[in-house]
Amino acid sequence: MESNRSFLTQLQILTKRLLLRVIRRPLAELPNIFISAFFLFVYDGALGGVFGGSAQGTPFDFANGNFVNFILPVSIVSASVSGGASGIYLVEDIESGVFKRYQSMPISKWAIILAPMLVGALRVLLQAGLIMVIGKIIGADPAVGAVGYFMVLSIAFLWGMGFAGYSVAAGVRSGSSQGAQAASFLFFPALFLAPTFVPREALRGWLATASAYNPTTYVIESMRAIMVDGWITDVISKGYIAAGSFAAITLTFAVISAGKATEKA
Amino acid sequence: MLAVDVKNIKKTFTSKQDTVEAVKDVSFQVEQGEIFGLLGPNGAGKSTTILMLTTLLSITKGSASILGIDVETQDKQVREKIGVALQDTGIDNLLTGKELFFTTCRLWGYNKSDSEKRTKELLELVGLTEAADRRVKTYSGGMKRRLDLGLSLVHSPEILFLDEPTTGLDPGSRRVLWDEIKRLRDTGVTVILTTQYLEEADELADRIAIIDEGLVVAEGTSDELKASIGGDVITFSFETEGDITKAQQLLTDSVQEKMELRITVEDGASKIPGYLKELTSAGIEVSSVAASKPTLDDVFLEVTGYRLEGADDAVEETPASTRGRGR
Repeated sequence: MESNRSFLTQLQILTKRLLLRVIRRPLAELPNIFISAFFLFVYDGALGGVFGGSAQGTPFDFANGNFVNFILPVSIVSASVSGGASGIYLVEDIESGVFKRYQSMPISKWAIILAPMLVGALRVLLQAGLIMVIGKIIGADPAVGAVGYFMVLSIAFLWGMGFAGYSVAAGVRSGSSQGAQAASFLFFPALFLAPTFVPREALRGWLATASAYNPTTYVIESMRAIMVDGWITDVISKGYIAAGSFAAITLTFAVISAGKATEKA
Repeated sequence: MLAVDVKNIKKTFTSKQDTVEAVKDVSFQVEQGEIFGLLGPNGAGKSTTILMLTTLLSITKGSASILGIDVETQDKQVREKIGVALQDTGIDNLLTGKELFFTTCRLWGYNKSDSEKRTKELLELVGLTEAADRRVKTYSGGMKRRLDLGLSLVHSPEILFLDEPTTGLDPGSRRVLWDEIKRLRDTGVTVILTTQYLEEADELADRIAIIDEGLVVAEGTSDELKASIGGDVITFSFETEGDITKAQQLLTDSVQEKMELRITVEDGASKIPGYLKELTSAGIEVSSVAASKPTLDDVFLEVTGYRLEGADDAVEETPASTRGRGR
């Protein structure tokens, strides 16, 4: 018998299998959603009264009276790190021998490698989407209108794919799921060496310099422009460029690493 | 046409630290519809040989073909002809048996309704219908092996590669799997299996290649291999270390195993009285003596110089044998 499935059908079947795995481990999804929602509630609770209320009319009114709009991008960026699970899915398959089973069949190696990345992408959309719904419930209202939700989600998707690529590369190079989890360690410095709580103009010294070189800065600023300021196209486009470049670089790195790691010895 | 034709294949793994010759020179042919056993200890090169034949490892030197298709240059076509159940091929523990069969059927190109039908057939075939909706992590070792076997049969392969299919199974589960493998052979499937169990090779394989340190050291049917030793095996048992030491000096061609000495001679039964007379004259007390036809165990000892199973147990050196290696 010949396997006559097209690449896309193989990818679809393998993605569905991994989604079943995700559904069967719901508890694994909770920590990242919890942390992202926690950021949103805690920062809004602690700082929203000042920057979203009493600061109005002062130079500190950078949230334009709605601090949820200002802080929501931080939670969205946090949720998008869930794309880092891609590497874990792939390494789990390599470690358990499932990858080898598929390699012994006449199906595309790239379908086997891309399926976990696709699941990572879906996970990013789900988690970032969920945080956005929570944001909406507690008062988020994009300055550019409803289309802003989709714009923020699309930037989050690209950013999450960057983490997906990073985790796949780290996972296959280290050969362990712990290596793949290293993506989450990259996340914290990336998030906090950025204008997380105040605009970049308010940062000073080394942090101001570091944030200028941190792509997370441009992602957050882009989302904030959409949520707080409106159609500031150069700022918005920088976010797409930063997230898109991060995704392109890490996904290329991931595909090369995964290809090499799974070559016939 | 031969099912499998292996000509002087070699596999060398090279790293920065060293170079390892996992398979030095292996050749064999397998006819269609037979069960061919690769027998050897861990590290002998059996699994590496199977990985090369199933296209999962490249061949360093030599050539191999499956049903006339070259393994190195036409790997995709080879994969379409073979079913593979390797020692370390994994099963997704979070999915149910039914989901795994269905997914594998879909990957092999069955449409949804045919996949459902084939899933049902295979679940019945490997006796997992009752457990079909349970997650695989709840399966016993024997059930997982049967599932693994079933998954390798989804596309009705002409040739099936099984790498140590019963390692770690209890005798009952092993017997069930043996029966299934024989049934597959009877339907025309060629089976190439590796094993480190003598009994398994003896019971299942139509022909056996004994592989040791990357080389085929003997090949033939079980009867041919046993006949190659010639004669019978006489086993002498002793009560004391002193007796066995003295007896070894008289029976210079013997091999010691625990408190026994074994010697291979022509027409063993007729020679027992002579040996007993010689031993008792030397003041050695023999607690029992028996003559038997050689087993595959004896063949393995003869061609490799050590025992395959229980190699960690004492196999003392005599001038005719080398020391058993604990593998």
